[in-house]
Amino acid sequence: MFILRAMLREEYRMHSSRTSSRMMFALPAFAFTIALVTSLALGNIMGAMSLEELLFNVNAGVFLYGVSVGALGFIGRTLVERRQGQLNSIIAMPSLLPMSYRSTFLCFFASDAIFYFALLIVPALLGILASLPFTHFSIVSVLSASLSLALSFLYGMSLSFAVSVAGTRSRGAFAIIAAAIIALLLGHGALHFYGIEWLLPTMGYQFSAPPLGADAPLAALFLAATIMATLLLYAVAIIMVPESFQGREARHGRLYPRYFARFASFGSFQPYLAKEMVDLRRSGAVGRMVLSFVIPLTMLSFTSWYVNNGLEVPVGFNIVFYAAMVGFFSVVLYTSLTEVDAHDFYGTLPVAVPRVIRTKLIMFLMLTMGISTAFVLGIAALNGEAGMLWLALPVLYVVSVYMVVATAYLTGLRPNSSLFDPAVLSKFIVISILPSLGLTLMSFSVGRTELAAVAIAGVLVLLLAAAMLLYRRIDAKWSGRGFN
Amino acid sequence: MASITVRELSRSFGATAALDRISFDVAEGTFFGCFGPNGAGKSTLLRVLTGQLPPTAGEVLVSGIDVQGNGIAVRERVGIVPEAESPPSYLTAYEYLAFVGRVRKVDDVEGRIERWIDFFDLGASQDVLCKDLSKGTRQKVMLSSAFMHDPPLLFLDEPFVNLDPIYQHKLREYLLHLREEGRTIFLCSHILEAAQKLCQEMIILNRGRIVASGSVPQLTAEEDLETLFLRLVEEDVHP
Repeated sequence: MFILRAMLREEYRMHSSRTSSRMMFALPAFAFTIALVTSLALGNIMGAMSLEELLFNVNAGVFLYGVSVGALGFIGRTLVERRQGQLNSIIAMPSLLPMSYRSTFLCFFASDAIFYFALLIVPALLGILASLPFTHFSIVSVLSASLSLALSFLYGMSLSFAVSVAGTRSRGAFAIIAAAIIALLLGHGALHFYGIEWLLPTMGYQFSAPPLGADAPLAALFLAATIMATLLLYAVAIIMVPESFQGREARHGRLYPRYFARFASFGSFQPYLAKEMVDLRRSGAVGRMVLSFVIPLTMLSFTSWYVNNGLEVPVGFNIVFYAAMVGFFSVVLYTSLTEVDAHDFYGTLPVAVPRVIRTKLIMFLMLTMGISTAFVLGIAALNGEAGMLWLALPVLYVVSVYMVVATAYLTGLRPNSSLFDPAVLSKFIVISILPSLGLTLMSFSVGRTELAAVAIAGVLVLLLAAAMLLYRRIDAKWSGRGFN
Repeated sequence: MASITVRELSRSFGATAALDRISFDVAEGTFFGCFGPNGAGKSTLLRVLTGQLPPTAGEVLVSGIDVQGNGIAVRERVGIVPEAESPPSYLTAYEYLAFVGRVRKVDDVEGRIERWIDFFDLGASQDVLCKDLSKGTRQKVMLSSAFMHDPPLLFLDEPFVNLDPIYQHKLREYLLHLREEGRTIFLCSHILEAAQKLCQEMIILNRGRIVASGSVPQLTAEEDLETLFLRLVEEDVHP
């Protein structure tokens, strides 16, 4: 227990390092308010979306959030291997103290889960509950949906934890598991072999429990299945945690000069991009990115497909809407890129923070554009919407560029901890929600009125202008900052 | 001409004053020592002097450049060995030196790398990832990266740490050679014995303030450096 307590303190201090304690505690209030306001506005949202769609989307979203924060195997290994840098973590202590890596990772998962629950999930659920006197929802339905959401988050975290620990042991095993998960999603989304409840059992519970159903035995069965699956994944992950993270003194081929030559056309970014590329190849960050980007993107793709085809009342989500969502979502890759290695050593070189931020932005564009384009093309083919690609692809590219530049401008090289600062988070929400809302509403009208395409083009021009402005202002904001 | 000029420099972290109105000069070609107990402010001072950390107040000129807002210009002209940072995890020792050579745009990168790999006998570990190197080997890589562009001014924070006695001796001899060549060296350390053999001028820091400054022979005329150090720090704590 004392390890868990110490880890919770560490987690809190790490995330509050970019903000004050007071601001940090404002985060739950922030989550509460957002959830309350959204719940109060739910009456209007329900006009455009059925309750089933809404609950499915929210559960899928919370599950994906759990997946994105749960890759603790990769995160833990990075923390352990970085032990000679300026920062050290309790998770690296088993190399010095009589502690096992297994028990430390067990606490690491628990502390992360508690942290996210205390700071975001529970306040958000309380926000929904607080809206009850002003809405027509029954308390039983809200409590039932809250249970499902909490479990979706934990299930996502456990799955991600297990897969990432497997990834730290063997890249081959990781590739097989990732391929299996994508195949399972395909089995549901493309081939319709089974319902979503067999992949996301909380949906099985949700379909059988209030407010969607009243089949108590089936709901109990899915509830038990979710809890069992979560615990099983957690246990498997803990068993797989290696008891030694000692690096092997293996010889490596000289990749850096090769990549340096390959990036010759990138001018002054040449040495930095070559280093980023070598980092990506050797750090296993690609696996983490698959977990935090490709798998959720596959899930998002089938969510889009499901909403369009799997439900009885389609709501008109089209490829333009999907492209915008992929663009917004791709920003998680920027976070992954900033966490590949510590940046402290740059402090000894004639390099400023904006130079490294811009290197990450270029690398982000190189990494995501191909994957995102492939997903948009795939979903367009699946939904028979190839005719809208002329608009969907520019939406994808502009939204991706805008979102990543805005994130880099706001959070620099530490997006993860910076977004725990409510002041930064508020700005982030404003810069992401406003265009998101605009594009979503306009995308529904694409194909119905020509004005929609013109309006979307107008929004894209504005987003590009904003991205250029923020890109230029990265210097002013980050030049004077240090690397640690 | 002064290579480093520090006037009324303060640096605070919240309510804690890590450096409190300190002033000193380092003449060009001087081997200058900065000593003090743990937490005295040595590493903070070095980070301010190299433009990694802005001062809270005061003025700092390095090679005639105001460090405030000109960190890159300063770091282009100097070599830095930090106390804590390691080379990047996923580059090999060779690759890191190649990276440093490219960032610093030096000529004959290959030749320079070979020179330092020979000097520190890194041949067997040059193709091992930096994260898998021993602490001593990592220190050798960081020293090589600071020396490879032949800077006229070096900032060294505990450069002997983790080195075995053979390489401590070799490094000491090399630093003496640099001193004879007229390079300026700013050394932070609490290894007083090595420092006494190398330094010409020095300051002793305690709790962010200078408690002694002057030439090493002058300050150690009546007592050795260790005795002087212990006495000054003790007097500062219990005046």
